[in-house]
Amino acid sequence: MKTYFYLFIRGESEKMEAKGLFNVALKEFIDHLTSRKFIVILGLFLIISAYSMHQGIDNYNNELESYKEQISQITEDKAGGTSITIESEYMSEKPSILLIFQVMSFQMVSLGAILAIAMGFDLVSREKESRSLKSLLSHPLFRDEIINGKALGGIFALTFAIGIALLISVAMLLLFSIVPDLDELCRIALFGLVSVLCLLTYFSIALMTSTISDSSGKSLIYALIVFLAISFFVPMVGGIVAESVVGDPPEPPMFQHEVPPPSVKETESEEPIVIREVPLDEEEWQLYEEESNAYWQKRRGIDDAILTIVPTTNYLTVSSAVLSKNGNVPMFGPGYRSETTSEDVLERVWKNILALIIFPLVFFAIAYIKFMRMDIR
Amino acid sequence: MIKTESLTKAYNGKKAVNRLDLEIAEGDIFGFLGPNGAGKSTTILMLVGMVEPTEGKCFINDIEVARNPLKVKEIIGYLPEDVGFYGNMSAEQNLDYFARFYNMDAHDRNARIEELLGLVQLDGVSQKVGGYSRGMMQRLGLAQALLNDPKVLFLDEPTANLDPESVFQYRKLITQLSEAGTTIFVSSHILSEVSKVCKTLGIISQGKLIARGTLEELKNDFGRVKAENRRIIVETIEQLPEIRHEAIINVEYDKTKRRAIIEAKSDIRDYVSTLLFEKGVRIREMRMEEPTLEDVFLSVYQR
Repeated sequence: MKTYFYLFIRGESEKMEAKGLFNVALKEFIDHLTSRKFIVILGLFLIISAYSMHQGIDNYNNELESYKEQISQITEDKAGGTSITIESEYMSEKPSILLIFQVMSFQMVSLGAILAIAMGFDLVSREKESRSLKSLLSHPLFRDEIINGKALGGIFALTFAIGIALLISVAMLLLFSIVPDLDELCRIALFGLVSVLCLLTYFSIALMTSTISDSSGKSLIYALIVFLAISFFVPMVGGIVAESVVGDPPEPPMFQHEVPPPSVKETESEEPIVIREVPLDEEEWQLYEEESNAYWQKRRGIDDAILTIVPTTNYLTVSSAVLSKNGNVPMFGPGYRSETTSEDVLERVWKNILALIIFPLVFFAIAYIKFMRMDIR
Repeated sequence: MIKTESLTKAYNGKKAVNRLDLEIAEGDIFGFLGPNGAGKSTTILMLVGMVEPTEGKCFINDIEVARNPLKVKEIIGYLPEDVGFYGNMSAEQNLDYFARFYNMDAHDRNARIEELLGLVQLDGVSQKVGGYSRGMMQRLGLAQALLNDPKVLFLDEPTANLDPESVFQYRKLITQLSEAGTTIFVSSHILSEVSKVCKTLGIISQGKLIARGTLEELKNDFGRVKAENRRIIVETIEQLPEIRHEAIINVEYDKTKRRAIIEAKSDIRDYVSTLLFEKGVRIREMRMEEPTLEDVFLSVYQR
């Protein structure tokens, strides 16, 4: 397979001045596509995606069926002259095929992350171990062309992997006679783009650890530590940090009790202390509400700030927003609400989008600087 | 062709190469000698543009390496010590990947790769490089260093993993390249190898060049230090008589008394031959031991 690729490249790329960055990127791209680990993990990813899609399509068809039944019921009632106002208000919306892709987003943060880490953890360290880096650097190309080429090759390969997964998904939809409209196709493409950004974060982490480690084994361990830290440790610690910063939530006034001050007489008579309930004061309750709102707003702000360094949260927040037609951000992300406009959604998830762009850049930058300063001996 | 001016490289404050001044003429085969850690590989890495000097400059064909590393890399070839390749690719694919960094079209690349693989006897080997022996890797490394038909060739321990046949082929190739005008810089601690192929030598110790010249010059300058006491080997048909001379320090006879090793302060071969002639003893062999490169090397280090 690799030989075929090389023959293909040899035939095609000789027309252009294929040098430096392009050469390295192309080689890395082909290396990824022909590597056993990439094929195995991608295969697994595609199989699980296809299975989930199949289940998702079944669910979608069931929901659609129930929706149709409701519609026909309403139509019958309307024809019979019955009032439909209440029923239509509580009636469920027409199910969207985009919900099927939400299942995929969960695989993206698990198997996709593993794929991205597997692709990047030995990119530089393997070259150091095999000493091919020294051979490569003896030819006329700059160091930055190597690290940039490796990054580009990885980006192409990840885009290819996501592209294949989405193509199979759309093909399955068509196979089940579900035809997405233009808006849905655009959202699917956008979901693909967000997924690439998410996987790039993990890929860049692996590339960074590969550059700073002297062996691939160490690099894999470091990459997994970083992955686990930002995926599980940070959200876990985030809550504790937020609580320790803002303190305990204010106590509601209705639970306040008044203990009468002990008097000499009471003490002497050894009578039991009587705890008296104080009637709820409206003003006090209002003050409590204000304090409570301020407290939870502050706490959520800190939570959100901490969670923006969690790629999984950012990805699930943005992908949920992309895949939800009415702009719902149902489970993840800061300050979710049930009904919002596109502008509202963008306003709420822009931080997450920015984080998804910044994180890969930060890790790439660290890898770049380290690679450029690395001693070749 | 190769020139260094006060070339210095320090790692964590420790100087691996210390104010190295060197000039190597075009077509020369320069042997760079030194024990492990003397600074040989660091010098080469600076000369090939992989490591930036801490101080000083180096030039290849009048191009300053630190300023124009790419221009330099276009005219040099480098065989690193323990050369490495991409194990998942064949020799041809490895060479093709490297050749793409030069201005060579597919036809030129194919022709050059075929020629070089034949030269290093790796043509027809279809297995991936990951399955190569160290010797095969070394031969592929040589092919890789010659991809761009370099004006200057840097070889770091080139024969370390080669079998005798490959060493012979290597020597032949180096001589041919030198005759064609290629300047060759060989770094090695295999002294016999260096003495067989190199025209001039340099000895480096603790980052400093401590001796420089042709092998003969070095023998004259340093060989005598070690061989201050001459060793004359005499073998005769008849038994040797007692040999006495004021310059003699020691004489060792073998059991048959037909062979002796004479250690003397000066060359007393004329005296010995006259003595043996007078005594009617026929000489089978008489020679004075020449200082070897090892002697030169050791004497330089013992100074």
